[in-house]
Amino acid sequence: MSFADRLRLPKSGLVKAIAVMLGLTLGFGLGGCTTGNPASTNPTRTLKVGATLEPASMDAWHNTAAAIPQVLLYNVYETLVKVDADGQIRPLLAQAWEVSPDRLTYSFHLNPAAKFASGAPVDAAAVVANINRMKADPKLTETLKAQLAIVTGAAVVGEREVEIKLSRPSLMWLYDMTTSVGMMLDPAFTGDVASATAGSGPYAFKAHDKGQSVTLVANNAYWGTPARFDEVVFRYYADPNAENAAMLSGDLDIVSSLQAPDALSQFSDTTRFTTINGTTNGEVVLGFNHSKKALSNLKVRQALTMAINRRELIDTVWNGQGTLIGSMAVPTDPWFEDLSGTNAYNPTQAKKLLKEAGYGDGLTLRLRVPVIPYAVKSAQFVASQLRDVGVTVKVEELDFTRWLSEVFTNGDYDLTIVGHTEPRDFPKFANPKYYWRYDSKKFQQLYQAADVTPDDAKAVAGMKASLRYLADDAAAIWLFDLPNLVITKNTITGLPANASSISFDLTSIASR
Amino acid sequence: MKKAQLVAGLVLVGLVVLAAVVSLFWTPFDPIRVVPGERLAPPSLTHFLGTDGFGIDIFSRLLVGARTTLAVGIISVSLAAVFGVPLGMLAGQAGGWVDDVVMRTADVVYALPALLLAMLLASVFGASTTTAMIAIGVASIPAFARVARAGTLQVMAADFILAARVSGTSRWGVASRHVAPNIAPVIGVQASVGFAMAILAEAALSYLGLGTPRPNPTWGNMLRDAQNYLFVAPLQAVWPGLAIAVAVLGFNLLGDGLRDYLDPRLREVP
Repeated sequence: MSFADRLRLPKSGLVKAIAVMLGLTLGFGLGGCTTGNPASTNPTRTLKVGATLEPASMDAWHNTAAAIPQVLLYNVYETLVKVDADGQIRPLLAQAWEVSPDRLTYSFHLNPAAKFASGAPVDAAAVVANINRMKADPKLTETLKAQLAIVTGAAVVGEREVEIKLSRPSLMWLYDMTTSVGMMLDPAFTGDVASATAGSGPYAFKAHDKGQSVTLVANNAYWGTPARFDEVVFRYYADPNAENAAMLSGDLDIVSSLQAPDALSQFSDTTRFTTINGTTNGEVVLGFNHSKKALSNLKVRQALTMAINRRELIDTVWNGQGTLIGSMAVPTDPWFEDLSGTNAYNPTQAKKLLKEAGYGDGLTLRLRVPVIPYAVKSAQFVASQLRDVGVTVKVEELDFTRWLSEVFTNGDYDLTIVGHTEPRDFPKFANPKYYWRYDSKKFQQLYQAADVTPDDAKAVAGMKASLRYLADDAAAIWLFDLPNLVITKNTITGLPANASSISFDLTSIASR
Repeated sequence: MKKAQLVAGLVLVGLVVLAAVVSLFWTPFDPIRVVPGERLAPPSLTHFLGTDGFGIDIFSRLLVGARTTLAVGIISVSLAAVFGVPLGMLAGQAGGWVDDVVMRTADVVYALPALLLAMLLASVFGASTTTAMIAIGVASIPAFARVARAGTLQVMAADFILAARVSGTSRWGVASRHVAPNIAPVIGVQASVGFAMAILAEAALSYLGLGTPRPNPTWGNMLRDAQNYLFVAPLQAVWPGLAIAVAVLGFNLLGDGLRDYLDPRLREVP
């Protein structure tokens, strides 16, 4: 009820006056909500998290933007299993699970306490309904479709036991289930997932103030360890300096990912701030559009890779923070090896290769990047170094929504730079419809062969081989692995050093 | 005193023009090439103003930036004058409903800030120097139309116009032979002031990332880059800021000086 509605009801002058007083009191009470709630004796515990990319909606099923699961995964929607800070798979909605010897059937035993925010149980029927809903959804994102492609069916075994069958064994599948594709939505929910949520997590979506923030509130009916905050606000800053300033002035509790590493020294006051510096799953990828003639040529891709000194790029663009990777894997992955030596910096060789490919007289490419600090700065660096080998680069900066529709969805670009923050995401190179349009039968075979290998050690060796193939084939240029630079107030505890999941997992965070 | 203003304006504008011309033939360093080993160097004999976060010589970037600044100024002011002046003269000469239609339309455009228009254009056609020029130019049309209309009304009240009309000169003849030469000085003043405004608008657009895209230097995007290092290398923001200030001051002084110089009523009696 609005303030105006309250005013219209009373008839007499006195009642009206009282109503006005009441309204004012209520108004003040509401206005003061962020600092204290007069209705309860405990003050409201609010956590304010600064972030860079704002989600366009709350719909993780039809929008691949990582900003959505960053807020929702594990916090609002839960998965059968989750990945912990060390990259290991842990129980969440499923207490335990078994894999059949042929590795085609997974049986999950659901936690009997688990229930959605509505009170409905997270039972076998709900899990099956989720799998079936996604499989039947033609508009589901390509990423989720690809991850679900090997699922042939899900069946209710007992009230709390569900069986999921795969068409082929897959090492990757269970990891996938810890990400967006594993998020369980209340089957009874009929609203619009873009603007409301119905999960089983400790928080529920409250409001999205476009251009500003996303607010989550504690789900008081949560079945597990209760939320430690009544309200969590993700505030979005297009400008990293504004975010830093907000942190310095005390407006934020956490900077979820420092986007201006040159400003790291601003937070050196250890009596006020804690700095976390670990690794992330965020590979900064310079993507080639393989459907373009010039970029379908291996020699051109190799030349472009050799033209860029990636060590210097990290030093220049990200103040030396970050790790060289050289392929689509990060140090926390079991199959990681530093492949930055493949097609290493060699401008002379790059020029030679370009000449051999028939571009000795020059080549013009459009580099379309989203306006994200690491991307625009890398773009300037890349443009400069490619110019040195005779490649003209036209840089275009697009706001993220436009980048998503034009570059990511429609593939209207030659080169682009973006961070791929999903964990274990190199299988995306096996999807020819993905925005790189990379259609390498060889890689698809290598990856699938590794993925179905029953022996874990052999499977990891296979993954390594496929990653090496990606590097040799110069399928993209892996500029660097983004560092997990997190700044928190000293009163905040429980953040892991390495960000192993795409989620900004609030469940372990506490305030002293 | 009045002359001093004009001279100061000419000198400052001259500096900007000189920088732009020099940059066509020579810059101390490559204004685009990244030199990782020389990041954030302080001012020295090799790098007069130091280097930026990419190790690029700031002085070289400033010189090249002057080019964009002048280009945007010239094109957008020309665009505004080419459309604005005839429209203003038409409104002033025709009067009646034509005057109303033209000037009210101008008011509508005037109400739309140049920045908003530029953001609109940038989101449709992509950010570039051209969209910035067009946006600033279109947004400046009403100012020129107003000045031209006021000037025209003044001239039209003069006796020689009556004489010209009595002697059978056509409307077109009156406009081209009598009105245009007489309002030229005020248009010149408006152009100078408009130029200053265009420089500011271009800097603001580049600062917001809606103007000239990287890696081409403009004073606005230099300012934008500098804010990343505000706590590490604060001088970086000073140089482009100073350049913008000098250019804007220069064109404003030039405008004021021209007005005083051309206005006989303000001319000092010796």
